[in-house]
Amino acid sequence: MVDHPAVEVSGLHVSYGSTPVLVDVGLVVPSGAGICVTGENGIGKSTLLRCVSSLQQPDEGTIRVFGGDPGDTPEFWRAVVTTVEPPTWYPGLTAREHAELVCRAHGQDPAAAGVDEALERFGLTAHADAIPPSLSSGQKQRLTLVLALIRPSSLLILDEPEQRLDPDGKAAVAAMLAEYIADGGSLLMASHDDAFAAASGASVTTMDEL
Amino acid sequence: MTSVPLRPVRHWIHATQSSHRERGATLSNVYVGVLFVAIVVAMFKEQLTKIFWPADPSLSALGSVSVAVICGALLLLSLRRLGPITLSRPASYFLLTAPVSRRRLLIPSVRIAAAAAALAGAAAAFAILGHTGSRDTLSDLLIVIGALAGLLVYLIAALAQSASRGATIIDRLASLALAIGLAELVAEAAGWTPPTLAGPPTTTSLVPLAGALTLVLLLGFGLLVRDLARTRNDRILESAKTAGTLFDAAFGMEPSWITDMVERRYWANRRLRSSHLLRVARLPVLTAQDLLLTGRRLPRLFWLAGATTLPLLLTSTPRWLLAIVLLYATMIAARTSTGTIRTDAGNPVLSRLVGLTSRQALYQRAWVPVALAGVWATAALALLQLTGNLAPGPWWALGIALAPAGAAAAIRKARTGFVRNDLLPLDTPMGTVSTGPLVNSIAGPDLLLLGLPTLLALAQNKPLSWSSVILQAAIAVMGARAYLNATTAETRTELTPR
Repeated sequence: MVDHPAVEVSGLHVSYGSTPVLVDVGLVVPSGAGICVTGENGIGKSTLLRCVSSLQQPDEGTIRVFGGDPGDTPEFWRAVVTTVEPPTWYPGLTAREHAELVCRAHGQDPAAAGVDEALERFGLTAHADAIPPSLSSGQKQRLTLVLALIRPSSLLILDEPEQRLDPDGKAAVAAMLAEYIADGGSLLMASHDDAFAAASGASVTTMDEL
Repeated sequence: MTSVPLRPVRHWIHATQSSHRERGATLSNVYVGVLFVAIVVAMFKEQLTKIFWPADPSLSALGSVSVAVICGALLLLSLRRLGPITLSRPASYFLLTAPVSRRRLLIPSVRIAAAAAALAGAAAAFAILGHTGSRDTLSDLLIVIGALAGLLVYLIAALAQSASRGATIIDRLASLALAIGLAELVAEAAGWTPPTLAGPPTTTSLVPLAGALTLVLLLGFGLLVRDLARTRNDRILESAKTAGTLFDAAFGMEPSWITDMVERRYWANRRLRSSHLLRVARLPVLTAQDLLLTGRRLPRLFWLAGATTLPLLLTSTPRWLLAIVLLYATMIAARTSTGTIRTDAGNPVLSRLVGLTSRQALYQRAWVPVALAGVWATAALALLQLTGNLAPGPWWALGIALAPAGAAAAIRKARTGFVRNDLLPLDTPMGTVSTGPLVNSIAGPDLLLLGLPTLLALAQNKPLSWSSVILQAAIAVMGARAYLNATTAETRTELTPR
C-alpha cells in the first residue's frame, strides 16, 4: 500500500444533467499525508469525495486508491473510512455499543482500542448509554468521527468534519486527525475552515487549483 | 389575545386545495370508493357472511365475552397509537401554532374518530352476535350497546391522551385484557369446558344498560370537549406524525414506513445501559449484536411465547389454513431480530464501517432468526400435539427442521427494501393492478415454500415419520444456504440482493 499514493485522481469529469461540476480535476494525496480541499458551496467538493469513495461514478477520468480501483469490496472498506454519506444507526444500540461493535468487527478488543478514551475525548462519556438518534446533531457528528477514528484504517475521507462542532470539539477532532496522519494514515477532507485544516495537519488546496 | 376565526381559514385552505384539483375530482373519488366497497361486498358476499353470520355458530357465552374483550382491547390500543385526538401534518405545522380556537381545531378529529369507533364497536358486536351459539335468543340491542361501547373506548383513549399520568397503566391494562381474552379462547380450543353463564341478557335488562352507557358518554364527551383545548402540544404533534405516516404508507403503498416509525418509537421510550455482551461474547460480533437487541425486546418475546398457543384457535378450520398460518407465524417469530438486516440493506453506511463481506454478515445475522423460528415452531407444534390436534409422530422435531426456512424468509423480507413503483402494472379484467406492492408483499413469504413438507404434513394430518422430518430439515437447510450464497458475495459488503 505504501508504494502507491493514497489517492490519485486524474482527468475527472462529473456533470449533473447539463451542469458540469468537476471539469478535468486532478489530485494526489501521498500516503501518510493529509489534503484538505476548500471552496465555496456547490463547487464539487462532496462530489469529488463521493467519487474517490466509489459512492458515485464519474463521467470520465481515473481514480486510484492505494493503486487500485475504488469499489464496494471488503478490502477497500477495511482500508478506507468515509463520512461522506449521512450516518445511520442500529435501532436499540447505544453510542458505546456502536463503537464496540465496530472495534470487534475489526478484531480489536474495545478496551484496548480505547473506546472509553475516545468517547471521553469527544465529550460523549455522559451520553455513552444514549441511543444515537436521541443525541444532538453535534453529538451525532462527534460519534460519527469516533467510529471513523476508533477502527484501523489507512485512509480517511471526511466531508466537513468540523460541521456542527463547538470550538472544543473542533480542537479535539483536529488533534485526533493530526495524530492519525502522524501514525501513518492518509487524509482527504473537504472543509470551509482553514484553521481547522491546518490544525489537523492537512495541506490546504482549493478546488480551483485541482 | 385576539383569536382568529377558524372557519374562514379552513374554508380558504379547502378552496385553495380544491382549485388545484380537477373539477369533480372529490366526487369522483367518493364514487370510486363506494363502487369499490360495493364490488368487494358483492364478490365476497359468501365469505363475509361466514365471517359475520356463520351457518353453525359455536362460540360459548364466555367465549363471546372474551371476543368482545379482545375487540375492545384492540380498538383501545389502536386508538392510543393513533392519538386519537389528532391533526393532519400540515394543520399541526400551520394551525396548531396559529391564534385560532384549539377546541374548534381539534373537534373534527374527535367527531371522525368517535364515529369510526362506534362503527367498529357495532360491527364487532354484530360479528360476535353472529358467532354465538345462542344467537337466536340474543337481542339486537346488543349491536347498539356495541356501538356505545366503541364510543366508551374512544372516550377512554382520548382522556388518556390528555391525562398527565395513567396512560401507560391504561395501555398495560388493555394488553392484559387482550392476553386474558386470547387465553380463554385458547383454553376452550384446547378442550376446557367454560362455565355456563347466566341466561342471555333480555332486551328489558339491556335498555337500562344502554341508558346508563349513554349518560356516561354524554358526561364524558362533555368533559372531553370542555378540556379539549388543554390537550398537550407534544401529544398532538406525535399523533399528527403517526397519522401522516399512516397516510404516506397508504398513499405510497409503503408499509415499511410504519415499521420504521413503530421501531423508532419503541427505542425512543427505552432507557438503556450499555451491555458487556459485545465486549466479552465469544460469539461472532453480529450474532452477539442481534442477541443483545433481541434480549431488549422482552415485550415482543412475551407476546411471541403467548402466540405459540394461537394455532390452537385454528384447529377447527381447514387444515391447510392452520399449516399456512403456522409457517407464516414462524417467519414473524424470526423477524424479531432482523431489524439490523433492514438497517444495513436500506443504508449500507454501517456495513462499510464494519467491513465484513455480505456473506459473513448474513451468516452471522442468520443464527438468531433460526433460533427464534425453531423455538417458536417447536413450541407451537408441541402444543398442538399435546392437545390432541395432531396425529402421532415427532412433530416437535419438525419445528426445529423448519427453522432455517422461517429464518430465510424473514431475512429476505428484511432485505426487500422499498416498494418498487416503477414496475409495469398488470391489466386484469377487474382493472389495473400495481405490481410493485404485490412483488414486495410476496418477497420473503415466497421462501416459505421451503417449508412445503411441513405444509403437506399438517394439511394431511397423518402420523408423522422421522423421514419427513429429515426431508424438511434437508430442504430448509439447503434452500436457506442456496438463498444466502446466491444473494451475497465474498467481494462486496452491501446486503442489498443483486
